[in-house]
Amino acid sequence: MIGFRLSAQRPPEARRINNDVIMRFDHVYEVAPEKMQTFPQQDIPAWDTLRIVASRWDHLDWMHDHWADSVLGVDELEEEAEKGHGED
Amino acid sequence: MTTAVALSDPVLDELRAILGADHVLTDRPARFNRTRVPSPFPVHRWADYVPDVVVLPRTAEQVSAVVKLANRFGIPVVPRAGATGLADGAVPLKRGIIVDVKLMNQIHEIDLVDRTVTVGPGINMLKLNEELRKHGVIYPDDPASYPCSLVGGRIGTSGWSLIGGRYGHTRDLVISMQWVLPNGEIVRIGDGGGRKIRKSSTGFSLKHLFMGAQGSLGIVTEATLELVPRPEVEFAAFFAYPDFKTAYESTGALTKSGLATLGGVVLFDEWKLRYLRRDDEAYIPQPDDVKAVVATAMYGTRDEVTPAARRLMRIGRESGGNYLGDEISQGDWAARHDRYATPLHGRLRSGQVVPMSWHCEDAALNYSVLPQVSEEWHAIADRYITQYGIFDDWGMFFYTNAAHKPWGDYLVEIDIGIWEQKLNDENWAAWVQCKREITQVTLKYGGSITACHGSTREGDAEYVPAEMGGAFEVMKQIKRALDPNNIMNPGKNELDRAYDDGAPGEG
Repeated sequence: MIGFRLSAQRPPEARRINNDVIMRFDHVYEVAPEKMQTFPQQDIPAWDTLRIVASRWDHLDWMHDHWADSVLGVDELEEEAEKGHGED
Repeated sequence: MTTAVALSDPVLDELRAILGADHVLTDRPARFNRTRVPSPFPVHRWADYVPDVVVLPRTAEQVSAVVKLANRFGIPVVPRAGATGLADGAVPLKRGIIVDVKLMNQIHEIDLVDRTVTVGPGINMLKLNEELRKHGVIYPDDPASYPCSLVGGRIGTSGWSLIGGRYGHTRDLVISMQWVLPNGEIVRIGDGGGRKIRKSSTGFSLKHLFMGAQGSLGIVTEATLELVPRPEVEFAAFFAYPDFKTAYESTGALTKSGLATLGGVVLFDEWKLRYLRRDDEAYIPQPDDVKAVVATAMYGTRDEVTPAARRLMRIGRESGGNYLGDEISQGDWAARHDRYATPLHGRLRSGQVVPMSWHCEDAALNYSVLPQVSEEWHAIADRYITQYGIFDDWGMFFYTNAAHKPWGDYLVEIDIGIWEQKLNDENWAAWVQCKREITQVTLKYGGSITACHGSTREGDAEYVPAEMGGAFEVMKQIKRALDPNNIMNPGKNELDRAYDDGAPGEG
């Protein structure tokens, strides 16, 4: 059993991205707190934010797999082109 | 808790005899939860639209018996599937009986020889495709509500698919339907009479008449659908542009590429980019000099998609696009299948975040007029935002609209947030007037009011006669002939005029 860990509860200090957006975790964008005075944002423990983000990525991976056997990326396209497979 | 409803005891007793007591719901949660849909709703007048009773049929014969009963007593009947449409097709404007088809969710037959699947109207496409995957096939109807909308609602609205440029839209993917007419008769509706025949010249082509009728011509109780091979490969590419004009021209070049695997091309304007930067869950962290984005997606076999993707990348770059990378392209494309997961909040002019519901104006317009329409729609929205302070412009997109041929006309959408908690009669009237002005622009430029959700709401429904012209007289005659008592979803598409105007043709 994992006991209480403060780091799992308290999110890191926010970094300012622009007038509207802050970032506490890499690639996790949040509305700037001063823009949420009419409806204050609830406190979310760090572990819950990370759980929600991970679950969203799981969902997107699942959606790719749901629609096709594989996803083709541009990197892969360009690698194949370098091997001599032309456009047509 | 059961409360008194407007229907008399004999009607409720008959409904219970038809369906069984467990499938006739009169309690407040069952009725109130089937009153509205996700689009903006006059919440201050919620009680005006609460249905009298909800029934949950399991067979076509039960639906038929309910409709026959409604005719005898003159009770409105409103079919309801997923109720995810962003218009009021499933809203009981005149109360009455809600026929909720969610228990009719069976897969009746998978025919891998003639490539069809036959289902009940209550099945969800995502759940259907989980089953079809075992057989190497899919049913490629892909709305932004893919995880939660149902086949019956897709037929009721003649739904639009994200990948319609490749596979077609709902009307192209439904081969035939079992249908309960407004008099309760059960018939097969298709292209000709064959259940699995895709093209026929026998008789009238009735499939298109009933497709998108918004419950005003009866209720679908079974559908035979198209099967296509499950794609081997998905390819998504998003491009950034320094201005709208370059993005617009690039969109034209991409859509006219002739690449058969191209599922769709969508152009996001500067307002949409601002929304993506501030409030959308699919935040796109692009620098301020990015003023427009074009998204593309392809599906098919690897042998088809690989060379087509190379050509698409060349066209996108040569027409001024800057590729946004695999992570954004693939991640945002996957999120497009599921826009109903987006948290719905917007901004006041002060920048403060407030909860808002999502209005989606969904006109169909030709490529040539998109810049003018964009300019005029944003100007209308801006006036109402300034004056009333409870609306928010979430931007526009332009999505290829034609089936199998992704060029020529577009689903043109402006998304507007509305702070519903602030609605009262004055604010609601302002919103309806805002919609009217947007609709007038659509018609001025030769467009159609709705590409996917249906023209069933105040603010656009009253323009159906103007859009249809002389054909509206034909609509009224058909409605009155098939539904003489006007029990099927009254109040939609202005079809009450079929009765108010006197005999058909005299109005």
